[in-house]
Amino acid sequence: MEQYFLNKTHSSKRLTMLLLIMAVIGLMFATGCSKVDYTKIEEPAYLRVFNNLNYVQTLSGKDEKVPFFCMMINPVTDASGKFTGAQIVGDYLDKRDTYAPPYPSHVGSSTSVNNPEYPGKENVLVGPILNGFDLSSWAQVPSGKVRIVFAYRPKNTIPFFQLEEALRKDILIDTTINLTSKEVYTLHLLQKDFVTKKTGVLLRQENFHKLSLSDSLVYVNFYNMSAKGFWQADASLKDQSSELGTFKGGIKDEMNIYLSLYEDQADLSHLAPTVPGFKGRYLANVKLNTSSNAVSPYVSFPLWASGKANGVITNVWQRFDFFVPGMDITNNPFFGSETETGSNWATVNCLLNGKVRLTTNVSNAYLPNLNVNIHSGVNNPKTFATVNTIEVVNGRVYLTTIQRKYAPPIY
Amino acid sequence: MLFLASCKHDDLEVAKPNETVRAATDFVKNNYELRLFHAALLKTGYADQLNGPGPFTVLAPTDDAFNAIGIFNASDFDKLNQDTLKKVIGYHILPRLLRLSSIPSNGIDVRYATLEGTELYASLASTNQSGNSVGNWLYFSGAFASRKDVTLSNGTLHVLSKVMKPNFKTTVQQWLANHKDYSVFVKGLKKFDLWEQLNGNGPFTIFAPDDAALAKVGITSASLDLLDKNLYVGSRLFGAYILYNKHFFISDSQIFTLINSGGYFNYTLKDDNHEMEFVTFPENSGASLYYQLMLKDGGLPFPQILKTLSVNYYHKVDNLCSNGLVHYVQDGLVTPAQALKK
Repeated sequence: MEQYFLNKTHSSKRLTMLLLIMAVIGLMFATGCSKVDYTKIEEPAYLRVFNNLNYVQTLSGKDEKVPFFCMMINPVTDASGKFTGAQIVGDYLDKRDTYAPPYPSHVGSSTSVNNPEYPGKENVLVGPILNGFDLSSWAQVPSGKVRIVFAYRPKNTIPFFQLEEALRKDILIDTTINLTSKEVYTLHLLQKDFVTKKTGVLLRQENFHKLSLSDSLVYVNFYNMSAKGFWQADASLKDQSSELGTFKGGIKDEMNIYLSLYEDQADLSHLAPTVPGFKGRYLANVKLNTSSNAVSPYVSFPLWASGKANGVITNVWQRFDFFVPGMDITNNPFFGSETETGSNWATVNCLLNGKVRLTTNVSNAYLPNLNVNIHSGVNNPKTFATVNTIEVVNGRVYLTTIQRKYAPPIY
Repeated sequence: MLFLASCKHDDLEVAKPNETVRAATDFVKNNYELRLFHAALLKTGYADQLNGPGPFTVLAPTDDAFNAIGIFNASDFDKLNQDTLKKVIGYHILPRLLRLSSIPSNGIDVRYATLEGTELYASLASTNQSGNSVGNWLYFSGAFASRKDVTLSNGTLHVLSKVMKPNFKTTVQQWLANHKDYSVFVKGLKKFDLWEQLNGNGPFTIFAPDDAALAKVGITSASLDLLDKNLYVGSRLFGAYILYNKHFFISDSQIFTLINSGGYFNYTLKDDNHEMEFVTFPENSGASLYYQLMLKDGGLPFPQILKTLSVNYYHKVDNLCSNGLVHYVQDGLVTPAQALKK
């Protein structure tokens, strides 16, 4: 009797073991065998798109179209010519932000779908690290001859392809561009002529990853991509907002740029001490250009220019004065707080986060500091040199900063 | 044993939720300020639909608003073309729930579909950037919403201080032709070759003087017959009343004044050197608007003001047409003598 019972429990034990093993195997099949789809673009080019078209809400402009777009690369159309999809979609493309950071840092803090650039907030494949430079703000796009379309879209949160048919028909740009694989491109949608309101695209092939750039020098190049006829136009047609500083009327077709380096970001005055050798120092010449896609040459200044720097951190900030040829800071005929310079003089201060204004009375534009101060390794913060592009478009000045991959912070 | 001891319950009065919230038509019916709108709903057959499941957003003009366009009793609706009445009342109902919070802040001309089929224009001035009073001034196709977000069981209701006047597919040219009291203005436009363009895409904003208004500046049908058109600048004598390529409700200027103090609009007349300034001012906390036109000659260095007109006829403006708007002016802007060719 006992033997019978022992045998029974032994076999039931085996049964449960068998059942258990079968359950585990079943579980493994259920979870382990799903196919994961990784999108991959063969031979990608790296592209970043900015919408330089700006708008101001005024009574006279109330009936004009708001430049809010859906960008499509290689769109797919159905039989009636309606857009039904695209290989690359950059929806909710809004006017660009003043600062284009090296990493898509606005992704985590965003509260709306509006995208100030492409890829911006989009969750897409991005560029790798090329020559030390982190290209996570550049999207991977197919290379070769691609068709690019910018379609106006209403300013709401409905995805473009779910809009009513009639709202998907307003196309601003429909053109083809040539992208070579593994190259880095910046595409600008901009206004070419202020009087006729003609718009176009400018595709620029960047070369910063191919140059031998030192990591103790800060590099910057300048572009004037304003519309033809902007600075000559009457002030009533332009945004007169005081935060644009003396850039609001535009700058003339050819300007010289002078650099001043100030010792300390905590000293918010344009009369503060400057780094010896860097007060009104000639840097570059910039000419109006919306047609040629040539890359402006990079000019540089030392990261550790200040005698007070210790090789780890520096609080130097930059001031760029744009003067018409013939004027510089020694013979500047305007007084310091002048607001109307006739497009002959404009100044931009690059300090802190670009939102802190100087306490002295100057009518300047503001951008974030070209030097990036960020927690890296054991140093909090540590200063890094960057490669920058400053673009003046129709009364506004924009900064794009590219930084090398840096050591992660150790807490 | 425990089950035998019963619990004594007091009679409790529990308020039924939403007992006093009514459906759209019932709400309008019980409102002493909306009696005429209720009569209109009954006449056009929308009354039953608006008591049904919604959601609806009802834009209800007050009795005062109807009085201002000549309707004092329910029977006055019988004198109107019933098809047009049904379309206009349908234009005042949106087949969706639209509360103030859903309209984009500082949104200008935001389009919303109406029960009639076409879309109306909603403009909302939420704030003033210089930090002054934060009001929410909401206008539907030029009509001010004096009371917003009234809760209904099947939607929401906004009270309008003016009746919206959509003319659907009528162009500004057809509107002027259909209104016999603008016949002198129409005759003048035809004489000076400004008439045909008004059938085009525009958009046109026309500040139209009626016959009495033109008589004040000495222009009548008879005097027009005697006028030699080659001696006068037509684009000033009659072109002064036309604002080209703009789609302005009178309320737009007030909205921009609130948003960015940009309510003044200066423009040069087409094909002439004279200038005009247009601006709107509010009355009764925005329930009524009057607008001002100031005509200046193109003299240098300082233009001289020829005429300033203040038009306080809120209920005779904002006639929305397919290619623009027509607003009433009660006086002429230009006398024939001021439009003589030099």
